[in-house]
Amino acid sequence: MGSTDKQIAPPQGRVEAWYKVTGSGKYAAEYNIPELAHAVFVTSTIPAGRIKQLHLDDARQVGGVIDIISHLHRPEVSVMLDDKAFKESKFTFKLFHTDEVYFKGQPIAMVIAETPEEAAYAASLVTADYSESAFNTDFENAWSKTTLKTGKDRGNPDASPANAIVVDEVYQIPAEVHHPMEMHATIAQWTSDNKLRLWDKTQGVNMVQKTMSTLMGIPKENIEVTAEFMGGGFGSGLRVWANTLAATLGSKQTGRPVKLVLTRPQMFSLSGYRPQSRQRVKLTADASGKLTGLIHQSWTGTSVYEDFGEDVTRISRLIYGAENLRTESGDVKLNLSTPTYMRAPGECSGAFGLESAMDELSYKLKLDPVTLRMANISDQKHPDNGKPWSTHHLKDALNKGAQMIGWNDRNATPAQQTDGLWQVGYGMAVGMWNAGRSKASAAAVLHPDGSVTIQTAMTDIGTGTGTGMFNMAEATLGVPKDKLHIELGSSKLPPAPNQGGSTGLSSLSGAVIDACNSLQQKLAQLAAGTNKAYQTADPKQIRLGKTEISIAGKEGVSYRSLFAAANGEPIYAEVTSAPGTEKETWAFATSAAHFCKVRVHRHTGKVVVDRYVCVADGGRVVNEKAAANQVIGSVAGGIGMALMEERQVDHRLGSLVGDDLASYHFAVNADVPIVEVAFVGEPDTRLNPAGLKGLGEIGIIGAAPAITNAIYNATGKRHRDLPLTPDKTV
Amino acid sequence: MKPFSFSREPDLTGLLRDKTATAAFLGGGTNLVDLMKKGIAEPDRILYTQGSGLSSTLQVASSGMTLGALMTNSAVAANPEIQQQFPLLSKAILAGASPQIRNMATTAGNLLQRTRCPYFYNTSLPCNKREPGTGCSALQGTEQRMNAIIGWSQTCVAVHPSDMCVALAALDAQVLTESKTGGLKTIPFDQFHRLPETDATRDSNLPTDAVITGVQLAANRFARHSAYVKVRDRTSYAFALVSVAAALELDGSTIRQVRLASGGVAHKPWRWTAAEQYLTGKKAAPDQFAKAADLVLAETKPLAHNGFKKSLLRGAFITALEEATQGA
Repeated sequence: MGSTDKQIAPPQGRVEAWYKVTGSGKYAAEYNIPELAHAVFVTSTIPAGRIKQLHLDDARQVGGVIDIISHLHRPEVSVMLDDKAFKESKFTFKLFHTDEVYFKGQPIAMVIAETPEEAAYAASLVTADYSESAFNTDFENAWSKTTLKTGKDRGNPDASPANAIVVDEVYQIPAEVHHPMEMHATIAQWTSDNKLRLWDKTQGVNMVQKTMSTLMGIPKENIEVTAEFMGGGFGSGLRVWANTLAATLGSKQTGRPVKLVLTRPQMFSLSGYRPQSRQRVKLTADASGKLTGLIHQSWTGTSVYEDFGEDVTRISRLIYGAENLRTESGDVKLNLSTPTYMRAPGECSGAFGLESAMDELSYKLKLDPVTLRMANISDQKHPDNGKPWSTHHLKDALNKGAQMIGWNDRNATPAQQTDGLWQVGYGMAVGMWNAGRSKASAAAVLHPDGSVTIQTAMTDIGTGTGTGMFNMAEATLGVPKDKLHIELGSSKLPPAPNQGGSTGLSSLSGAVIDACNSLQQKLAQLAAGTNKAYQTADPKQIRLGKTEISIAGKEGVSYRSLFAAANGEPIYAEVTSAPGTEKETWAFATSAAHFCKVRVHRHTGKVVVDRYVCVADGGRVVNEKAAANQVIGSVAGGIGMALMEERQVDHRLGSLVGDDLASYHFAVNADVPIVEVAFVGEPDTRLNPAGLKGLGEIGIIGAAPAITNAIYNATGKRHRDLPLTPDKTV
Repeated sequence: MKPFSFSREPDLTGLLRDKTATAAFLGGGTNLVDLMKKGIAEPDRILYTQGSGLSSTLQVASSGMTLGALMTNSAVAANPEIQQQFPLLSKAILAGASPQIRNMATTAGNLLQRTRCPYFYNTSLPCNKREPGTGCSALQGTEQRMNAIIGWSQTCVAVHPSDMCVALAALDAQVLTESKTGGLKTIPFDQFHRLPETDATRDSNLPTDAVITGVQLAANRFARHSAYVKVRDRTSYAFALVSVAAALELDGSTIRQVRLASGGVAHKPWRWTAAEQYLTGKKAAPDQFAKAADLVLAETKPLAHNGFKKSLLRGAFITALEEATQGA
């Protein structure tokens, strides 16, 4: 891994590692609250219709059962009675406020009992009578009836120039699920009539506060949300799901704190998924390989009660500069639950279509796939809005990745290289992602013992946000490592946006560095009372030592004297930092080049990814270990997407099947080679003061097509429907 | 989970005394606990087999070996005597589950794990195995990837998921059992597991009051030429789409004896006897393997949505024979 010179601090362990490894860090469901009651969902067994009757008698007989919530018996959520207000609440469906069934697996009741075992057993005894309606869960039956929304055309996409080389193909990806190790879970406790305490698995405590405030009709200041540790998210925690509201209603109803943990099968329907997609990509190029036309259409699945609207085609407005362009996308309504954002939503799926088509074009043109990209990447300006890139290093990433994997030594002709019964091939693809930043707040607090706490409400979903904050604060303040602490994931801390979309650390960096600078300024003022030299000093030069603060060449001022001046109170500096007008002038994006070498077994279809190289431009690398970890995890996700991940639905029954982790296959260690990660680029300080652009998504955008393109190179067979399980590759 | 009682028995007599149709033995619990959590198995009593006097060691004799009922899958796979004399068994075990599961799972429990089918595991759907007479959701299902291509019936299309049992079938193992009414009985491996026919509720012929005490393997000449090839959707911790165990005794390049068995294809580990007969006395060569594969495929009867298993089976079959021929 290169470019250590661009790091703010050298690699180190995660700030949360001790707590996670020893189990002392608490996840949402792990808090011991006195008088805690336990809840379990009962879910619908039909995909569409109405509940006629619920049979609760057997469940009520189970010892320890406290109450059973349903649409016939629950505290009222008045927002649910007003369609417009409900839509604005951004909550998912009318939980316990309708007899209507939209999908199989929808919660129709919730048993609350003294123990989780009693609740689970009683829930298994609840049955319902339904009047069933016609349903459709099959994307194949519905996509062609979907109206597409057209984006703004560039040039004349319908033109068909003479002698043009054209690729026009359809690419399909099944629905995929997030399934972080930690199940979605909530503990809800009403501490008074209008004050709510929530421990929730979420990627945004302030987002939960806001949604729950709307639903419960209380001020958001009355809701305290804690998500101090998370066992993964991948986007599934970017909105409020049924479990959070259900636990809240259960607590309201029983007057007890209530805990609700989804089961693994329930996670398949009640915490979102990456929607199924169908894409048509038409590429038109001249004989030299210059792209002249690009048409990208996409259809993505959603539920019957919400339009999710994932834009798979956005990536076609980001990478290449085709003069003529059209993008169209639409939602396909199905009797399934609503999908949500999943790692690189839109671009991840879109890259499979676009980068597979680019590979097909390269072979048609008899042009090296890297050369074809080089000829078309719009590296000076954003191809759609025309703004100059603030920084753009995708071509550097391509050059470096090609060199790392030995691209030029490969056999470019498909199905030529063998190793015994294995066919060997190389593939590549690129990816890009709009780099963003939101308003965020952070505080830097100096305590009388000389320790410093950096605080923000943002959650760390496993990406290393806390460690990145640590590195930035350490570099800015010079505070000894053992004196620096990070606090995250509580709505009592300075507000912050969701941890998502690769914007977490980008949004926070300004706030953390500004809060540290603001603390330095306060310290300079206090120190000036003792030592006049600090009146004229640049506060940013202040270093925080073990017993005193100091500036090079000046005598230090002890914490004892500083805190005497501050009456012994902690010195607190909170700052809010927001993007300015930079996006009016500049365009910002992260990018990556993916290269891999695969083997395909002639007799069994087994695909082995032998080598994987990912070179990313994420701006400044704040912590190389955490940054590489993001990319490695993304690539593992991309291998799963390419080779095995597929949510299974029996369309005849309108039912998920194989809804457990033995049947839904994620890539395991044995499927993933040592991922070779490198970084290129430069700090992009126009985006934020730290100059980082975010690395959460870019490692998966282009990963799946790099693998399928390599399989083509190995076997000469082009695959356009994921995943490439052995039945397809044999 | 339905409430149940739990008891430890100090000896085999106690274990057998309490074993009724609604009581369940717990060995490693790697399958039973999952089934109980899903509400598929609802025993009223759990009899813990650890500490009951059942063996967890390997007995070696000149005539062969006996695996104790409680010997873990990991212990069997790592045992040097097994690796030397029955490498096929070790290879098959290591192709199954995960190290964590193999560390817990027992020999007897591996034999007694339930057949798998995604519809069996989804309690909201009809299933003859869970509730006789309700119908087989998988038979007309659109997701038949993990279902049978041979030996299935209108009642059930589930498959036995064990890798270890495929090797034991190929090695003609004997299952040692004991019960309070029937005393000691030995069941040949190919008679241990059942086909669904008209009753899918039972996966084995072990009487409900009996316990497995061990698995016996007779000495053989297959150690130098055996292979286990498993085709699955990921490299570890995935059940077989199809698997093939091949064991050869070669005289030069002539096949003196051959054993061929498959997992992922039927309600029980499946022996390919026609192909075995065909190959006996033939040269161990690709053209003969291809002809034997034709015999295997001719026997299969895929469902509407798992016809692809035929080409995977052919590939796994030929690969296993080639690997076995090359030797360990």
